[in-house]
Amino acid sequence: MKKQLLTSAVLLGALGVGFLACALHTDQEWSLSERRLLAQKPVASAQTLSSGQFMTDFETYSLDQFPLREAFRSLKAELQYAIFQQKDNNGIYIVDGSLSKIEANLSESSVKGAADKLNAVQAQYLQGSKVYYAVVPDKNYYLAEANGYPHLDYDRLDAILAENLTNMERIDLYDCLGADDYYKTDSHWRQERLGAVAERIGEHLGVSVTPMDSYDQQVFDAFRGVYWGQSALSLPAEDLIYLTNDMLDGCTVYHYETGEETGIYEVENLENPDPYDVFLGGADALLTITNPNAATDRELIIFRDSFGSSLAPLLVQDYRTVTLVDLRYVSSQILDQFIDFHGQDVLFLYSPSVFNNSTMLK
Amino acid sequence: MLFSSIPFLFYFLPIVLGLYFLVPRLGKNLVLLLASLFFYWWGEPRYVVLMLATIAFAYICGLLIDRFRGTGWSKVFLAVSVAGELAVLGYFKYADFFLDTVNAVLRTEFPLLAIALPIGISFYTFQTLSYTIDVYRGTVAVQRSPLKLATYVALFPQLIAGPIVRYSTVERELAQRRTSLNDLSEGLSRFVLGLSKKVLIANQLGALASLLRESGDPSVLMYWTIAVAFTLQIYFDFSGYSDMAVGLGRIFGFHFLENFNYPFIAKSITEFWRRWHISLSSWFRDYVYIPLGGSRCGRWRQMANIFVVWLLTGLWHGAAWNFVLWGLYFALFLILEKFWLKRFLERLPGMLQHGYLLLAVVFSFVIFNGSGLSGAAADLAGMLGISGAPLLSQSALYYVSSYGVLMLLAAVGATPLPKMAVARFSASGMGEKVMTVVQPVALLALLAACTAYLVDGSFNPFLYFRF
Repeated sequence: MKKQLLTSAVLLGALGVGFLACALHTDQEWSLSERRLLAQKPVASAQTLSSGQFMTDFETYSLDQFPLREAFRSLKAELQYAIFQQKDNNGIYIVDGSLSKIEANLSESSVKGAADKLNAVQAQYLQGSKVYYAVVPDKNYYLAEANGYPHLDYDRLDAILAENLTNMERIDLYDCLGADDYYKTDSHWRQERLGAVAERIGEHLGVSVTPMDSYDQQVFDAFRGVYWGQSALSLPAEDLIYLTNDMLDGCTVYHYETGEETGIYEVENLENPDPYDVFLGGADALLTITNPNAATDRELIIFRDSFGSSLAPLLVQDYRTVTLVDLRYVSSQILDQFIDFHGQDVLFLYSPSVFNNSTMLK
Repeated sequence: MLFSSIPFLFYFLPIVLGLYFLVPRLGKNLVLLLASLFFYWWGEPRYVVLMLATIAFAYICGLLIDRFRGTGWSKVFLAVSVAGELAVLGYFKYADFFLDTVNAVLRTEFPLLAIALPIGISFYTFQTLSYTIDVYRGTVAVQRSPLKLATYVALFPQLIAGPIVRYSTVERELAQRRTSLNDLSEGLSRFVLGLSKKVLIANQLGALASLLRESGDPSVLMYWTIAVAFTLQIYFDFSGYSDMAVGLGRIFGFHFLENFNYPFIAKSITEFWRRWHISLSSWFRDYVYIPLGGSRCGRWRQMANIFVVWLLTGLWHGAAWNFVLWGLYFALFLILEKFWLKRFLERLPGMLQHGYLLLAVVFSFVIFNGSGLSGAAADLAGMLGISGAPLLSQSALYYVSSYGVLMLLAAVGATPLPKMAVARFSASGMGEKVMTVVQPVALLALLAACTAYLVDGSFNPFLYFRF
C-alpha cells in the first residue's frame, strides 16, 4: 500500500510539476548552445488548426521551450555516454577533451562536382593566373581513425581531386597540423597554430609570410565553439587567440555586400553566438583585404570556406590585396561584376566537408 | 498526438487526469470521449468525422442486428455492417494498392487516388467489427448508449496503435468502474515502463538502423545489425506502446488484455504468434480462422484457412507486397510446423529451437522492413553475403561497438529475466521495503530520462501508426 501510494504520488507529482512548469515557463528567443532561434508559441487560426499546422508547430514549440531544456539535453548526453556507453551523442564524439563530429560517408560524385566547379571557375576567370588548391584537413583527419571513429576516405578524396584538377597545383597541408591545432569545442583550426600552414602555402605561392613569433597574441578566454552547444556536455570555455601586429592593424577589409570597411578583426563579434566571427567578421560572400604596407604589389584571390577567415590574415605580408570569395554565398557566374580578374594568384582552399557537400557551391 | 511527446506528457495527460478524477462518476465517460476526440483531432483533424461516422454506423448496425435478432434481417445487417466497415478500410488503406496492382498487371493507367491513411483506422475498424459480430453472436449485449460505444471505440489509450481491445473486454467497465490505488499505481508504472521501452530503447535502435543505412558503407555485418536492430526495435516500439496503452487504461479503470508475452523466448513460430500482437492474432483466429472451419476440417482445408488468415494478416499490416509476402512467409512456417515440423522441433535442444525461432523472425522482419520487395531482397542478399558487400565495414564495426550495450540491454529486456529478478528481490522482506522507495525513484528517473531524450530528440513516430 505504501509503495503504491508513493509511486502514484511521485509520478502524478512529476506530471503535475511538468505541466505547471510548462505553463508558467517564460519563453526564450534564442538558444545559445545551438545558435538558433527557438520556436515561439504558434498562433491558432481556422486554417492552421484544420491543416494540422498548429499542432506540428506546437510540438516544435513545446520541445524548444521546455523548462530546463539545456539541463535535460545535458542529462541525455551524459546518459548516452555513461549508461549506454555510446561513443558519440548526435554524432559528436570526444577525444582527450576535444569534440568533433563524425563525417564518414565520402560522396565521390560530390567531390567530382566540386572539382568541376573549380575547373569551371578557372576556365571562366583565371586564364593567366597561377592557380593552387589545398584541402583544409579537418579535425577528424587527426582524431577519427586513430581513435576508432568512422572517417572519410581522405586518400580517395585527394585522388579524385588530383584526377580532376589537372590544371592546378596541389598544396598538401596534412602534415602541417595535428589534433591540438584545433579548438577543443569547435571545428575550426586555431589561428596561432597555423604557422606551418601559412609557410607551406607561402612556399608554393612564392611569397614570404610573417614569422608567428613576431605577432602579438590577443586572448579571448570565453570561447565556446559550435560543438560545445551540440554536445550538451559541461565543458569549460577555452581561449580564442587572434594575432595582431602593426601590418595587420594597418590593413582594411572591404565587405562588398554591405559596402562597409572594417579592420581584420571585428572584436565586437567576440560577443556573438559564434566568437569565431572575430576573424574578418565571419561568413561573408566577398571581401577584400587591402594591405597598404605590403612588400609587393601582388594580389591574391582565395576561394574559401570559414577556415580561410583565420588563415588569410597570415598571408597578407607580400600581397597588396587579398580577396576572399565564398562560393557558398555568391554565384560564380557574377564574380566578374565585382572582381577584375587579371592574373592574380589564386588559391582554392576548402575543407573536406565542402568537397563532400559541393551542391552548396554556387 | 504521440504518447512519447512533450505535448502529451506534460499538457494533455495532466489535464485529462485532473478532469477525469475531478468529475463525478457519471461524467467520466464523457470526459474520456471528449479527451479522446481531442487526442485524435490533434493528430488527424481531417478524419475525426470519419471516425465518428464509423462509430455511428457500428452503433446503428448493432441496434438493428439486435432489433431483428432471430430473423434473417439480423444477418443482413451484420453483412451490411461488415461490408461497410471493410469498404471504408479498403478505400482508405488499399485503394491505391489495388489500382497500382491493376495498372501493373493489365498495363492500364488508372490514376492513383493518393489518399492519406487515417491514423489508427485498422485498429478502430477491427474494434467496431468485433463489436457488431459479437452482438450478432450474442456474446455481448447491444450497447444502447452512443456515448459508451463512442468512448469504447475512441478511447485514446488504444485508439491509434492498439492493442485491439474487444468490446467484450471492457463492456462491464464502460458501465461501471473505479480506479483503485493499485490500478493507479500499476497503471502509472506500466505507462512509464512502456514509455522507456519506446524512448530509451526503440528509438535508439531505430537511430542505429538509420545510421547504418546512411553510412554508405555496406557489409554483411551491417545488414545483420540492421536486421537484429529492427527486430528488437519493433518489439520495444510496439510492446512499449501496448504497455503505455494498458497502463493508461488501468489508470482510467479499464483492464485491457495483454498484447505481448515475451515473444522472443518462444521455441516455434506457432508459439511466437501466441506471444506477439496477441490482440491481432486472436482477432483473426476468432473472426476469420474459426469461422472458416479452423482446424476442424481436412488437412488441405486447414492449410487454405491458415493461408487466408495470414494473407489477411500481412495485408492488415500494410498495403504493399512485402507485407503480403511477410504474411505468407509466416503461413508457410505455421503450416510446416503444424503438419510436419512440430514433432521434429520438439526433439531438438531448447537452444536450437530458440535459434530456429529467432532466425526465422529476424528474416521475417527484414521482409517487413524492406523498401518494397526489391529492397527486402537486397537486404536478404546482403545478409546472406551474396550482394558483393564485404564481411565487415568500418561503420558497421563502429556502430556495433557503440550500440553494443544498448543491444545487450534490449536483448535481455526482451526476456522475462528483469521482471523475474525484480519479483524475486521484492519477495524477500528486505526487498519489499527497499522496493517501496526504489520503485518510485527508479520510475521517476526513467521519466526524467525519457523527457531528456525527447527534449533532445526530434519527431519520433511509432512504427505501428502506419497500420
